[in-house]
Amino acid sequence: MGNASILELNVDSSLEVYYGETFGSEDLKLLEVDEPILQEILDRGASGEELDTKSETGGKRTASAMAAATGHLELVEVAPNFEKLKSLLSERLYGEDTDSMDVEESTSGLYTWDDLLEKLQLSEKELQEGLKSLAAVQVGGFWRLVDKKYMHCVFELILLNAMQHDWSLQGLKEKEVVSALMADGYSAQIVIHCLATYGQRVSLAFEAGIASNGSYDLDSHVWELNERHVCLHYANQLLSSASRWRVDDFVDAWQQNLPSGVQASLDMLKGKILIEKLGSDSWLYPFSVANLPSNPAERFAALFRERPRWEWEDLEPYISDLRAPGKSVDALLLKYTRRTQPTAETPPIFTAR
Amino acid sequence: SECREWALLELQGVLEIQPSAQHLPLNAFSIGSLSRSQQEKYYFTIGYHELEGKKVSLKKPMLVLQKVLRADPIDVESSPVVLSTQYPTQVQKTSELKAIGIIRHKILFKTRPKALISK
Repeated sequence: MGNASILELNVDSSLEVYYGETFGSEDLKLLEVDEPILQEILDRGASGEELDTKSETGGKRTASAMAAATGHLELVEVAPNFEKLKSLLSERLYGEDTDSMDVEESTSGLYTWDDLLEKLQLSEKELQEGLKSLAAVQVGGFWRLVDKKYMHCVFELILLNAMQHDWSLQGLKEKEVVSALMADGYSAQIVIHCLATYGQRVSLAFEAGIASNGSYDLDSHVWELNERHVCLHYANQLLSSASRWRVDDFVDAWQQNLPSGVQASLDMLKGKILIEKLGSDSWLYPFSVANLPSNPAERFAALFRERPRWEWEDLEPYISDLRAPGKSVDALLLKYTRRTQPTAETPPIFTAR
Repeated sequence: SECREWALLELQGVLEIQPSAQHLPLNAFSIGSLSRSQQEKYYFTIGYHELEGKKVSLKKPMLVLQKVLRADPIDVESSPVVLSTQYPTQVQKTSELKAIGIIRHKILFKTRPKALISK
């Protein structure tokens, strides 16, 4: 029925309808689409077994899946999934043994931007967002995830050097930091990646208020470390040294390890630790949202396995990153939890549905 | 784009070829005669049955997709192709769905066919 004359059939006229010449030999499918997505497909094209649209539609990411019914497909929006990206990039982590500019023996398990676009059902924008959220770095044309321990090492070294040379954490000179770490065998690219992961670039050298003994080198990049990241770095060190801490002891040790001028607060550890009262003491232990499933049903199951009852304040950091198409946090709570509030004064409690 | 609008006739039933004509190729004869009386009122005469239908707009437009097999990986930037899937086969073969038409309206025949008595 690819004939325009049926569409143009005038009133009081008729035509004969025939089977097309290629009828029966073509593999055709019909796909129902929303008008805006249709326009995107026609204008720009898309790729993926899940249909991707290459840009955002109405502010929402759209990676859509097709559900097949007999010969008739429907386009459904789903939220982008970075798990696959993470697992691909985790095949070969950049770490101690690969920290050299020498060409690696093989490129298996190494992926370029184009490789990733082809292998994953993500649009360009989503891939960019995914790489950023995973703190991936491009080394030698390949996108790499740096081994966490390795990143912590580099960060620790930067902090040690800063303390040793009395550098301000709000105004670290890239040249100085890089040369100090290169002397210890670390590559410049990784050092800069570390600075970018744990801080941000400050625009002009003299705006950082660095005292120098002469002229400012305006070409030198200056970095400011994010206070929260510095605090988290030291917090993580403490958390990995013991399975649980008395809260007061932890806070003392934590503050003691921090560079002067940096202020720590337990709020920074939301979504990373849980605190429970045992008798008159409060104890904390690591429980990180990063280790929990990203699928809402599995996430809530894991949370309720850990604790059968949650107060909103404690629960919020563990569900705020959940993405489900068209579902607000309230909708997720409604679907996966039971809310009880004994009295108007006590905070609401969430339990498994 | 290359996507022309296609017409869609929806019949609620099955088209069968008479035993005497089954040896002939499918497009050797017409299926029937389609005519339009008023604005959106259509008649489809198949054999000695007449179906009455009307033209309606689809709630959501439909794309007509054709499955195409390609041997090389796709350069997404330059290709006019719409969708592609990658099957884990030995050869780097990709199967794609190419949009070849859009359907926005259909002529829907859902009433009981009327038997025509020849004059």
